[in-house]
Amino acid sequence: MFELFSVTMVALLVVVAGTAAGIVVVRIWRRVRNNRLAALAAGPRRALLAFVADNGEEGSEDLIAIPDDAWRASLPAALGLLGKLRGDAHAALVSVFLHRGAARAALADLHARSGVRRARAAQLLGDLELREAVPDLCGLLTDRDHEVRVVAVRALGRIGDAKAAWRLIASLDQHDPVPSLLATHALVQMGRDAEVVLSAALDHPQARVRAVCLDALGLIGATGAVGRMARVLAEDDILDVRVAAAANLGRLGARGALKPLVDALDPPAPDLLRAASARALGDLGAPAAVPALAAHLDDGEFQIAHEAAQSLRRLGGPGLVELRSRDNDHCREALALAEPELVGAA
Amino acid sequence: MTTVLVADDDADIRDLVAFKLEQAGFEVIAVEDGQTAVEQARSRQPTLAVLDVSMPGLSGIDVCRMLRSEPATAGILIIMLTARVQEQDVEGGFSAGADDYVTKPFSPRELVSRIQALLSRARA
Repeated sequence: MFELFSVTMVALLVVVAGTAAGIVVVRIWRRVRNNRLAALAAGPRRALLAFVADNGEEGSEDLIAIPDDAWRASLPAALGLLGKLRGDAHAALVSVFLHRGAARAALADLHARSGVRRARAAQLLGDLELREAVPDLCGLLTDRDHEVRVVAVRALGRIGDAKAAWRLIASLDQHDPVPSLLATHALVQMGRDAEVVLSAALDHPQARVRAVCLDALGLIGATGAVGRMARVLAEDDILDVRVAAAANLGRLGARGALKPLVDALDPPAPDLLRAASARALGDLGAPAAVPALAAHLDDGEFQIAHEAAQSLRRLGGPGLVELRSRDNDHCREALALAEPELVGAA
Repeated sequence: MTTVLVADDDADIRDLVAFKLEQAGFEVIAVEDGQTAVEQARSRQPTLAVLDVSMPGLSGIDVCRMLRSEPATAGILIIMLTARVQEQDVEGGFSAGADDYVTKPFSPRELVSRIQALLSRARA
């Protein structure tokens, strides 16, 4: 019995000692490897920083000639810079990556079995702002891996080619779509060229898609879409979409948005939409909205009267005159925000 | 020589900005976190600070607020450098007392131009 116990203890000790030794060896190996990689990367990293700081005017041949192992060691720094730069410095760094065959390799990796490799490739192609990669990146919008889809959307946004807008919008109408804010940001990066597609998508059967497109149109400043957005404000079946239309019409600051928003201030529009329209009229910045807002300062719905007063405050001069002429809590609150020095004096 | 404090936890960006500024003739103090940035600003009194908004511990906006609240450092010109492009982040930076705002992706050349423009305005 005692002998069995001793043998078991010795075996356990051997296992523990072996594991400890293994851990030490692995740690030492990792440290040696990291030090070797750091030493290997130091020279190329210095050259890379100098090259980028000079906007790529000198030194591209040196970077292209760096041996593969040294380039691989300095790749994290190069990729980090690529994603955070724009202008001449970015263009110069892109040319180095292209000369080293990075785009070709990344395009091939978009079809790799590993999701991590597909995502890395998509990110690199986005950071390279490579328009030729847009069709392949659009293919990743229906990737089985959610993270890959997210990276593909970011990459398409960074490239900013409006040719991808429709595919991106269509990808929102699928199971487990990418977050709305991310899609909106990418669509906004595509700019005014995406306006026609975004306007057309206001007829999309999915409410979420319509809301994303409204936000993108508002952020782009798509004044040409005012008519379609006004139709959504007046007629859409989903209240949240109508509220999004109101907010974005206000954001546009276009003259054509005034009447639809004023019309939405009154019943039969639901109270939530009436309040959103009152807020949007303040964002619109049109003094012509003052009479309509003033007419709602005594509205029976607290939120509508409150938003009307706050919008009058944001409209400045004529709005403040209206607030001073009235005696209710909403006006006093708005004036206190507009003229804090008067509150302090009182 | 004009001294510029650069605070960014991203070593590549920090080194790039420092390199570019040294090339443009500035003396540079480069630090990797907000607390060190405050300490260096107090002890070295730079003319201008380039602060990354997102840093471990004290953020760039916290640093900006602290520098503005102390008479000895209140006059330091401050440029915020950040990946955040949301309107509220820009407003947050300005309300904390920043003089200018540069968003990533950024152009090193543009950053130096903004620094030089800010210094010229301050001297005028």
